[in-house]
Amino acid sequence: MKKFWRYFFIALIIIWTALPIYIMFKVSFSPASELMSQDPPIIMRNITFKHWIEVFRSGNLWQPLSKSLTVALFTTILSLALAVPAAYALSRIQYKYAISIILFVFLARMLPEVQIALPISISFIKAGLLDTNLGLILAHMIRVLPIVTWILLSVFRTVPLELEEAAEVDGAGRANIVKNVALPLAAPGIIVSAIFAFLFSWDEFIYALYLAIATKTLPLMVYYYINRSGWFEAATFSTIIAIPVLIVTIILQRRLKAEYLAGAIKG
Amino acid sequence: MLKSKHYWKIFFLAPLLLYLTIFTLIPISRSIFLSFQQKSGGLTFSNYAWLFSNFQFREAFVNTISITILALALELLLAFSIALFITGGGKKRILQALILIPLGIPTIVVASNMRYIFDTDGFLNQILTRLHLIEIPINWLSGGALTLFSVVIADMWKVTPLMMLILLAGLERIPKELFEAARIDGSSFWQELRFIILPLMKPFMTMALIIRGIDTFRIFELPLALAGESFKVLSEFAFFEYRNYNNPYTAAASGTLLFVMILVSVLIYIRVSGAQKETA
Repeated sequence: MKKFWRYFFIALIIIWTALPIYIMFKVSFSPASELMSQDPPIIMRNITFKHWIEVFRSGNLWQPLSKSLTVALFTTILSLALAVPAAYALSRIQYKYAISIILFVFLARMLPEVQIALPISISFIKAGLLDTNLGLILAHMIRVLPIVTWILLSVFRTVPLELEEAAEVDGAGRANIVKNVALPLAAPGIIVSAIFAFLFSWDEFIYALYLAIATKTLPLMVYYYINRSGWFEAATFSTIIAIPVLIVTIILQRRLKAEYLAGAIKG
Repeated sequence: MLKSKHYWKIFFLAPLLLYLTIFTLIPISRSIFLSFQQKSGGLTFSNYAWLFSNFQFREAFVNTISITILALALELLLAFSIALFITGGGKKRILQALILIPLGIPTIVVASNMRYIFDTDGFLNQILTRLHLIEIPINWLSGGALTLFSVVIADMWKVTPLMMLILLAGLERIPKELFEAARIDGSSFWQELRFIILPLMKPFMTMALIIRGIDTFRIFELPLALAGESFKVLSEFAFFEYRNYNNPYTAAASGTLLFVMILVSVLIYIRVSGAQKETA
């Protein structure tokens, strides 16, 4: 009997997790007659590639896709350029001095986006940055920088100080220590944080909603079709956005630590 | 004073701090300032007075608080059950890999998927009809308590795994000897839960709740994409005031209120985590 409840619980969790994703795939491959009816079947009866072909041909895919890719790529590069040195320095400052900066970064991550996006959107209109890739990259960095700094801080904390001190005794300057000791040891962590940076820009919605009005990003396209009851297009665009994120999440399972995502302050 | 061999740290930190000042600190301050301004200029409280006299705003405020309380309670319960089930490792790790998948689904995609379920022609109504529980399809997404429920379910689906990860990290820190000792004394599972697990998990639960509470205060995509203007929360209200009604002042005031709620939560969090560090 105990065994039965165990499997029942497992089955419930699996259905709960898998059902919405299954429905997304199903809708993107279903003929219209199966969804627009009073009683849409849950099992996939007929498969059609019609919506995928239409989305690829419609001309609504390539511009948002290239915008999302470009913005995510440059957001990643620029965020790392600022966050890697900062996180490294923070990890080498005594905790009692570093804590105020760490709290500042922590707070920056918790602030309401609508409150930041509002004045930025007003100034970007004046500066001609609205609807530009540069404007959106600058805004996405607001979201990505605190998260990436956070991850990198815990990465650099694992690089042992003793190794650096040994190099220092041997007469190595700071530039050499960073280049030859810290960066190689932190490289896997830096790559992980780069992937996170890319994904946090790739699926960003709020800043894009304020700042990308003429040319949309992929997440905005989902919203665009939801508002027009374009069920199949919304499902197809959803699948396009979700697939890379899903693959990376599954591969990086072991690196998904609670502290990365939840931002716990640890001493 | 700072020794010259530490100067590099300032150069390394300065770009990040400068960026966060220009693109986070200053915008937040400007929004707060805007919330006390009017088109005609001068400082005023009228934006706040208008907000609190506005029925839709009061509703958005109540919705935000209700979603937070309901979602946190359900997420904590579900996440804790799953964490208790998974802890101990072994084959259950395969299950864990599956459970974490929603973390990899972008929020707007979650909203879109949930529409297929909660729409009037959606799958939930269909299942309920087939089970003969309802005769007429329920309109889940037209506002009110049903929409609140739909938003909470959508939020639960997306973030329960995150809560589970935090609680799992806590569970795995409980020393095994405690359970062994309890078992020698012949304790039942419920006794272990009440006298060992819950007391030791309290700090993790508190922190998970505050962190997740801050996220839920800011909830935006899910109610926006599920129900649009028929179900508002605070951040949505701020967006619509600006985009649809072209009023940055009331938008800023509504955002400032959200900011204050979050700031208070962050301060509580810092206190709690600091207190925990001292006792740990």
